[in-house]
Amino acid sequence: MIKVLFFGPVSERIQTRELAMIHTAGMSLQDVINQLNEHYPQLFDIISFIAINGVQVRDRQTPLADNDEIAFMAKFSGG
Amino acid sequence: MDAVRLQIEDFSQDAEVLALKASSKCMGGIATFIGCARDYSEGREVSEISFEAYERMALPELQKLRAEAIARFGLLDARIVHRLATVRAGDNIVFIATGAEHRAPALHACEWIIDELKSRVPIWKKEVTPAGDSWVTPHP
Repeated sequence: MIKVLFFGPVSERIQTRELAMIHTAGMSLQDVINQLNEHYPQLFDIISFIAINGVQVRDRQTPLADNDEIAFMAKFSGG
Repeated sequence: MDAVRLQIEDFSQDAEVLALKASSKCMGGIATFIGCARDYSEGREVSEISFEAYERMALPELQKLRAEAIARFGLLDARIVHRLATVRAGDNIVFIATGAEHRAPALHACEWIIDELKSRVPIWKKEVTPAGDSWVTPHP
């Protein structure tokens, strides 16, 4: 399974903090984005950062492994 | 006490500075920054501010930030503490302390760390106001 996490303004926008997706062979970050776009078209307006297993990624073709954790994040506002 | 922490409870500035000073007797300058909760924002009354973090990423990023600051400014030590709590006006939010042989690198590093923290560390704040809650848009 792929664990998908949403925080702060992102989780509030889609009323979800966590989702699980079935991992399939050859799956990439773009596949997860496509699936999310179908269900939450309003999601990506505010996404500024994506991380896989706690590390920021920019390449949407990044391959995913089973049990990966993906976080979709809005701009940060700590401090 | 770890030099970099995310914690719910308040911090003690005195304890943090003591810990910083204990790391070296060559320290001739210490700069500190404390971020506090205001009771207003953009013309609105704010009763509380709550924080949320992606801790798996936030803590390593804060540790990296500290290491980068030490290398970049030639610091002797640095400490960063960020609270993840619901705070009220006047409460502490974030603490940064930097120590160097002289004041200039300590002061510059302190400002650099808070600026970088705001743009690099996955923490979000939500203001609770009488008119409703709202997530804060990043502010310079």
